[in-house]
Amino acid sequence: MPRLLAIEWLKLKSYRPFWILMTLYFLVLSLVLSGVMLFFEYLASRGAEFNGIDPSIVPFYDFADIWQNMTYLATFLKIFLGFIVVISITNEYSYKTIRQHIIDGLTRWEFLGSKLLIILAIAVVNTLFVFVLGLILGWIYSPVQGMDVMFEYAGFLLGYFLDVFAFLTFALLVGMLIKRTGFAIVLLALYTLFIEPIGALVLSIEYSEYTFHQYFPIRAINNLIQVPFGKYLFQEVQDYVAFGDIALVVAYVGLFIFFSYRLLKIRDIGG
Amino acid sequence: MNDLSLEVQAGQVFGILGPNGSGKTTTLGIVLDVVKKNSGAYHWFGNLPSAESRKKIGAILETPVFYPYLSAVDNLKIVALIKGVDESRIDTVLKTVDLHERRLDAFKTYSLGMKQRLAIASALLADPQVMILDEPTNGLDPQGIAEIRQLIIQIARQGKTIILASHLLDEVQKVCSHFAVLKKGKLIYSGSVDEALTGTDTVEVAADDMNRLEETVKQFAHIQSVRPEKQFLRVRLTDNQSSADLNRFLVERGIVVSHLSQRTNSLEQQFLQILAADQSPAASENHSLANQNITTHA
Repeated sequence: MPRLLAIEWLKLKSYRPFWILMTLYFLVLSLVLSGVMLFFEYLASRGAEFNGIDPSIVPFYDFADIWQNMTYLATFLKIFLGFIVVISITNEYSYKTIRQHIIDGLTRWEFLGSKLLIILAIAVVNTLFVFVLGLILGWIYSPVQGMDVMFEYAGFLLGYFLDVFAFLTFALLVGMLIKRTGFAIVLLALYTLFIEPIGALVLSIEYSEYTFHQYFPIRAINNLIQVPFGKYLFQEVQDYVAFGDIALVVAYVGLFIFFSYRLLKIRDIGG
Repeated sequence: MNDLSLEVQAGQVFGILGPNGSGKTTTLGIVLDVVKKNSGAYHWFGNLPSAESRKKIGAILETPVFYPYLSAVDNLKIVALIKGVDESRIDTVLKTVDLHERRLDAFKTYSLGMKQRLAIASALLADPQVMILDEPTNGLDPQGIAEIRQLIIQIARQGKTIILASHLLDEVQKVCSHFAVLKKGKLIYSGSVDEALTGTDTVEVAADDMNRLEETVKQFAHIQSVRPEKQFLRVRLTDNQSSADLNRFLVERGIVVSHLSQRTNSLEQQFLQILAADQSPAASENHSLANQNITTHA
């Protein structure tokens, strides 16, 4: 396993687009996650209200609300990580290096494993980043401090990790299916942002007596962390990651990996 | 591919010769497990193929394949990790192919000849028993071609088994010990280069007393080989001797020949003959991958 990770690391460490995209991603993530209060204060100064509530008093960064708020907001940016994963896999096809790897003696599982390991590493680093940022922002803004409240609801970080990891395995599958960087990125974005949400919406209206539109992959992944903001408007929100949602997403991860492996197995490689 | 069966012995430099689209790369792709076969089987080192057996083979298919933004050293580090080879080999192979000075430059800055040499370095990395080279001189200038061929010959002298695919006769002749000719996925010739494709002329000669003829011919100083065939002896001459020289020699010894003809054994002609000889329509229609049998003993 260290060998497979070392192989991927060699490919990425001198790959400038990877570092540029990663830097941009973490920069935007930091700005978005840390700018919420400033944004709310700006809204308040312009006289905006959320159902009669002054936005600047929303306790966005208060322990322990902060974890659901931050991770929910952070999931909107995961598509950029998806693009990075797509580039990392489609490059192997355009350079034909995937074929050379197999010729050199890598098994198909090892190749897939090396990609899954780098996805895992990205998801872990990303989660740790949000965790540290949350600690800093909570320390700055939260009126309550202390170990006991700080880590309450920190389980959302695990939900966030699974959310990102599952989405990235989906991106990997799309990349392997399409093989061409540009097309794969466009398709991933279209499917994630438009095709599935709009399709699910249409189906939910058409077949309103059923709930199957809840189970499409992107929807299932997004269901892990529910919209937290309703509670500030005195509505009931799901303030935990539901076991059923986790099980569904884990099943999807298994399916994505299985299909990725099938693609490697049944197709000629790089021909 | 159709009904192709090949066997390569350890230590051979085996050429797979055929025009573009004849199935050379497909054949190699199948035995390297990157092209799917419909039926048939292949073996490496007498065993069923696996990723482990591929680690003991150094192979390049078509163009050199590397990460363009990585240096030669980083590219070879990846190969070393895949094959489980110590990184100290990298310096050695880069020196072998004369790329050591440029080892830290990105692959994309290399000339085509350098890219090919790096590919050969990569194939040499695991010190493999078998090397597979697919059109290693394709697209190179004459100097590059000469360098690569010299390198292959040098590697072959170390006793490695080399399988070389090429559409150039001249290349196969200069480099290989044995070869097979493919056309539209079908094997149409297989044999040793010395026998089939040496550029020297052969002379067919016949006389009333064939036994005496053979004895006498063998006394001629400029003979490479004598092979009796049905109605004549096939004599291969060296030292620029022609059929006239042989005839003069025989007449001096009191032998009158009843048949004497000189065959110019040009490579191109041979190759074209071999290709033209196989014109059965069934072969040209069948592109399915049927009955592949490729065995390598090394």
